[in-house]
Amino acid sequence: MDLTTLLQAVVTGVLTAGIYALVAIGLTLIFGVVRIVNFAQGEFVMLGMYASYALWKVLGLDPYLSLLVTMPLLFVVGVLVQRWLFQPILHAPDLAQIFMTVGLSILLMNAALFFFTADFRSVKTPYAEAALRGWGLVVPLPRLYAFVGAIVLAGLLTVFLGKTDVGKALRAVAQDREMAMLLGINPWRMYMLAVGLGAALAGAAGSLIVPFFYVFPTVGVVFGLIAFVVVILGTLGSIQGALLAALVVGVAESLGTLFAGADLGLVVVFVILVVSLVVRPSGLMSRA
Amino acid sequence: MSAVGTPHRYVPLAFLAFLLVLPHLLPNAFYVHILVTMAIFAVLGSAWNLIGGYAGQLSLGHAAFFGTGAYVSTLLVNRYGISPWLTLGVGGLAALLLSVPIGRICFRLQGPYFAIATIGLGEALRMLVLHYREITNGAQGLTVPFKGNAPWQLQFDSKLPYYYIALAMAVAMVLLARWMERTRLGHYLRAIGQDQGAAEAVGIDSARAKARALALSAFATGAAGVFYAQYTYVIHPDSVFSLGMSVQIALVAIVGGVGTAMGPVLGAIIMEVFVQSTQVAFQGEYPGLELMVYGGLLVAVIRWCPRGVIPWVSRAYGAVIGRLPALVRRPVPA
Repeated sequence: MDLTTLLQAVVTGVLTAGIYALVAIGLTLIFGVVRIVNFAQGEFVMLGMYASYALWKVLGLDPYLSLLVTMPLLFVVGVLVQRWLFQPILHAPDLAQIFMTVGLSILLMNAALFFFTADFRSVKTPYAEAALRGWGLVVPLPRLYAFVGAIVLAGLLTVFLGKTDVGKALRAVAQDREMAMLLGINPWRMYMLAVGLGAALAGAAGSLIVPFFYVFPTVGVVFGLIAFVVVILGTLGSIQGALLAALVVGVAESLGTLFAGADLGLVVVFVILVVSLVVRPSGLMSRA
Repeated sequence: MSAVGTPHRYVPLAFLAFLLVLPHLLPNAFYVHILVTMAIFAVLGSAWNLIGGYAGQLSLGHAAFFGTGAYVSTLLVNRYGISPWLTLGVGGLAALLLSVPIGRICFRLQGPYFAIATIGLGEALRMLVLHYREITNGAQGLTVPFKGNAPWQLQFDSKLPYYYIALAMAVAMVLLARWMERTRLGHYLRAIGQDQGAAEAVGIDSARAKARALALSAFATGAAGVFYAQYTYVIHPDSVFSLGMSVQIALVAIVGGVGTAMGPVLGAIIMEVFVQSTQVAFQGEYPGLELMVYGGLLVAVIRWCPRGVIPWVSRAYGAVIGRLPALVRRPVPA
């Protein structure tokens, strides 16, 4: 095994990490504000992918342009899900909360199977094969675009949460709902905003990977699982933690694929989960 | 003696007697197959309920234990000719051993960690089984060699013996849950399920109690996996280790009513009737539609009756029992 191969795996891992970060940030945002662990997060990615695929197939729309449609679309999906499915069970036991989102995940996955069949579909773009080359390394352009897009969106979210009034109100609700209400913030609207944003980020991730990733009904499962590991490793509720953890998971998965074989990448991710639960269950960003 | 005469005793016994003769009243073997499936899921749901219902620790990876039982047993049967009657225990034990580290790691923590770790466990095992083809035969799965009518090999040419074995397992699980409800462990688990912090404050070692419940649950699930392999003759990683299987196991308990002995049994009956009727309705023509309805059902149950059907059923049952006479008059103490 030479150094270039190793470096190539690291580069691939870092590029993938951007997407993992985006999905995980959505998940951690929903958890941080609404306190619901969304087992349907991967299916939001899947919806984003199918939306982009459909727009490309029917209108010939470029996947990156379709972000302008898929993000608002998934935002609306998230708001509706919060209003009609999550809100009634906010104070219910874990059982209800977890299985509500599991049910939603099964529903969405099989709705996709029903409407689009189990076929693997792909979007063909003129830049699908384009790549930057140098020092023996290959950086496929679609993956690079996806990475850059993910980082830009994560940055925008951070600015939104940190600098705008609405973003601050959202964080206030996450910290202390009652106090936020006393300050005149409507928490229910903030909840809808949080789930809407979380879903929109997942949808964006879907659109960003469509140029180099097959679309099929169960495509979201892996993204959902990885997002969980990222969120736990990076401390539940922390955006910076999710970014850092995504990097760890992305690179580890890529190296695992290199050393153990392509079909065992996810096993490596599971090992990371176990190790992080044993060594540092509160995650990298915890102050403990 | 007199106890048998009270409705609380003779109604369940009469029901059990009814279950014993039921397959003889059915028109063909297909209906017996449905009964066997119901019984297997009653066992699985009851096993899940021990940790998921009573202790409130939600597993989304019971397929890991189910598949481990099925694979360990089938490998032992195929390679070493060990009788499946023995592997019922060995498969259960293998699943139990698998549960130990997961319990150790997750039960120190509160929150969604157990649910997530169990999903991960199931998926990781599925991938490992797919990967190590030399041993597991990969995606093609394993088959149990057909031996005809061989009771010692847990193989029968009629479905009836399978039914009675599965029924015995289901009855054993209900009795186990009933018994556990009255033990110290059962009370600990319920306390933990209601409020773990409060349970620990009164001195309950919650991690230990949960680990014990999980071990019992994993053992029963693994044994059910062994039986399933023998019954269907063929196992695939994508069926026995699937996330769908894990969800189905949990769903049985949830639809029936978590944290009750009879809930998973009711859930298994309802879900199987539901599955069969959707199959009749859709004729398998619309892929995804059945599971779509399934997911919708799960959302609906959680949204509108999170305690399952058990409250209604037990109310109706109580009303019936209250009206039935005692068959044997209690002897008047002299």
